[in-house]
Amino acid sequence: MAIKIIVMMKQVPDAEEIFIDPVKFTLNRAQARGIINPSDENALECALKIKDQTGAEITVLSMGPPAAESAIIECMGRGADRGVLVTDRVFAAADTYATSLTLAASVKNLGEFDLIIAGESTTDSGTGHVGPGVAEFLGIDQATYCTSLHIENDALVAERDLEDGTEVVSIGLPALATVLISSNIPRRAKLRLKIDALRKGIEKWDHDTLKLPPEWVGIKGSPTVVGALKIPEERKRAAKRITVDQLGELVKELGGMGLIKTEEEEA
Amino acid sequence: MTDLVGCIAPEKLEEYRNVFVYLENRNGKISRGALEMLGKGKEISVKLNEKVVGIAIGQDLKAVADEAASFGCDLILGAELSDFNGFSSVAYTNIISDFIFEQKPNIFLISGSREGRDLVSRIAVKCKTGVAADCIELDGDPTNRLLIAWRPSFGDKTIDQILCRKHRPQMITSRPGSYKLPEKVEKPDCETRIKKVKVGKLVAKHKILEFKPKTRLDLTSSKIIVSGGLGIGGPKGFEPIRKLAKELEGEVGASRPVVDLGWIPYEHQVGQTGQTVRPKLYIAAGISGKIQHIVGMKASETIIAINTDPDAPIVKYSDYFINADAGKAVAKLADEIRKYKKAHLVEADSEQTA
Ligand SMILES: Cc1cc2nc3c(=O)[nH]c(=O)nc-3n(C[C@H](O)[C@H](O)[C@H](O)COP(=O)(O)OP(=O)(O)OC[C@H]3O[C@@H](n4cnc5c(N)ncnc54)[C@H](O)[C@@H]3O)c2cc1C
Ligand SMILES: Nc1ncnc2c1ncn2[C@@H]1O[C@H](COP(=O)(O)O)[C@@H](O)[C@H]1O
Repeated sequence: MAIKIIVMMKQVPDAEEIFIDPVKFTLNRAQARGIINPSDENALECALKIKDQTGAEITVLSMGPPAAESAIIECMGRGADRGVLVTDRVFAAADTYATSLTLAASVKNLGEFDLIIAGESTTDSGTGHVGPGVAEFLGIDQATYCTSLHIENDALVAERDLEDGTEVVSIGLPALATVLISSNIPRRAKLRLKIDALRKGIEKWDHDTLKLPPEWVGIKGSPTVVGALKIPEERKRAAKRITVDQLGELVKELGGMGLIKTEEEEA
Repeated sequence: MTDLVGCIAPEKLEEYRNVFVYLENRNGKISRGALEMLGKGKEISVKLNEKVVGIAIGQDLKAVADEAASFGCDLILGAELSDFNGFSSVAYTNIISDFIFEQKPNIFLISGSREGRDLVSRIAVKCKTGVAADCIELDGDPTNRLLIAWRPSFGDKTIDQILCRKHRPQMITSRPGSYKLPEKVEKPDCETRIKKVKVGKLVAKHKILEFKPKTRLDLTSSKIIVSGGLGIGGPKGFEPIRKLAKELEGEVGASRPVVDLGWIPYEHQVGQTGQTVRPKLYIAAGISGKIQHIVGMKASETIIAINTDPDAPIVKYSDYFINADAGKAVAKLADEIRKYKKAHLVEADSEQTA
C-alpha cells in the first residue's frame, strides 16, 4: 500500500510589501501577493520524489485565510493528491503553540499517516518552531534540517545538515521531517494536473470540523504576546559620502586604521 | 499519541524561580551560543535575585560542568546518558521537561543553534508555555519577575517586545553571535548534580547511522567581511566581492534573498536568521539595510555601504557611504587596496635602504 504523506504548507506574502499597524500590532498582508513559503516548496518536492519512486498519497495541509486556496491548488498541480485548508477567524493571530496545536488536531482529523514533511521555517515569521511543535503534540520522532529523505522499510532515512557536519539518521515511522531550501529544486505545476485540481477542489475545515475549545486556538490560545514596539536605537554613524574617485583616500584611511595588512607587517 | 491540550497557564506563578540555561555541548565543550546564553542568564538572574542553573545532557559531563562553573553558573543539573550516544529530540525533550516539572524554572534560555531550535518548541509544547525566537536583546523586570525579550518585527524597521506573562518557564532563543561571550568569574561557586539516565525505550527506533564532520564558515569571529545583496545583480556579482575580500584577507557575507536565490550558500548569510557578526570592518554592497539584516551586523566597528540609491536605509548605518554601482565600486576598491599595498611596500623598502 502506498504510504501516506502530509505536507505542511503555509502561504506567505511575497517580499516586503507587508507593513505593521502600529496601533493594533497586526500585520497588514492584504496587498501583498501570496506565494508558497519557499522551504515548503522543497518539502512538497521531497514528498513528490518519494511518490515518483515508490508511490505515495500526498495531502497538503495548510492553515490560513481563504486566499491560501490558490497555493494549495498550485501544490496539487505539482502532484499532491488532496488539499485541506484549515481556515477560521478564531484560528487567526496564533503563535507557534496554538498553530502547532491546530495543525496537530488537523493531522489527527486526517487519520492514519506515515510521514509529515514541513519546511524548515517560514519567511514571514521564520521561527521554524511549528514542525517540531506538531511532532511533539503527536508524540512522534522528528528529523530537522534535512537535505534528503528516503523511506526504507518502516523507517525514514534522512540526511541532516548541522553546524559541524552531516548526520544520517534513521527514525521509525510515523515521523516528521523538516527540510531545507537547499534540499532540491521544486518542479513546476502541470497544466493538466492543475485543471484536475481545480475540478476536484480542496476541503475547507473550520472550528466546527476540529472541535477545539476556542480558548486553545488563535490569539486566545497563544502564550506569547507583543508588549510594545520600539524603533531600534542606533549608534550614530557619520555616513560620510565618498565618490568612486575618492576611493583612494578611503583606502588610505582604512590603512591608517590598520585594516589593510601589508606583507611588511606580516613578515 | 499525546492528547492535545491547550496552553493552560499554571495557577501559582510565584512557585517558578530561577533562570535555566541549556548547556548544548559536544566533546565536552559548551557551544558558543550556549555560553552567550549563560552570560545573559547570569545577568538576568542577578537582576531578579534568582539563581542561574545549567542543564546539561551528554556522555561525560565533568568538563561541561567545570566550564559552566567558570562562567558563573550557580547550579548544574546533568543527565548522563548510559545507553545512547548522540542527539535525539524525543529523548532530550523528555529529559529537559522532567527537569522543568521538577524544578519549576521561571526563565529558560536556549541557544538558537540547530540543536536548540530542534528542541525548544517540543519542550515548550510539553511544558505548556511559549517561546520567543531569535531574540536580539534580553532584560529582566524584577518587579514582575518577567523576561523582557526583543526581536525584529516581521515587517521592517521596528523591534517587538515579546512577553510570556502567564506561562512558565518563559522561554527564548537567540542566534549564536547575538551577544558577547561572558567574562569568567573569579571564584566559581557551583554545585553539580549529575544523574545517570537511560533513554533506551525512547530511542529504540532512532539510529544515528553516520556523522560526517565538516567545517562550516563561521563569520562570528571574522575581522573583515564583504557582503553582497540583491543589488550586485546576480551570482556573478560575487566575483568582485570575493576578490575584494581576498585583498582584505576577509570573508564573504550575504543578505538573505541572495541566499534564497541560490547565488551563495546559507553559511554566508548575515542577519536575524543567519549569523550575527561583529567584525572590525563590514562592507555592504547592494544591500538595502532592512532591519533583519541590520541586526546581524550593526555591532561592526566600521561600516562601508555601497548602494545606487542615495536614500537607502543602509545609509544611516554606515560610517562611509559610496553612492555608486556595487560591481564598479567594489572592483575599484580592490584596485586601490592593491595600489596602497604596493606603495606601502615601496615605502617600507626605501626605509630599509635608507
Ligand atoms: C523573519 C525574517 C527573517 C529575515 N532574516 C534575514 C537575514 O537573516 N538576513 C537578511 O539579510 N535578511 C533577512 N530577512 C529579509 C530582509 O527583510 C530583507 O528582505 C533583506 O535583507 C533584503 O536583502 P537585500 O538588501 O539584498 O535586497 P533589497 O532589499 O532588494 O535591496 C537591494 C539594494 O540594492 C541596491 N542596488 C540595486 N542595484 C544596485 C547596484 N547596481 N549597485 C549597488 N546597489 C544596488 C538597491 O538600491 C537596494 O537598496 C528576513 C526577513 C524576515 C521576515
Ligand atoms: N499555517 C500553517 N499551515 C501549514 N503549515 C504551516 C503553517 N505554519 C507553519 N507551517 C509549517 O511549519 C514550517 C515552519 O514554520 P515556522 O515555524 O512558522 O517557521 C513551515 O515551513 C510549514 O511547513
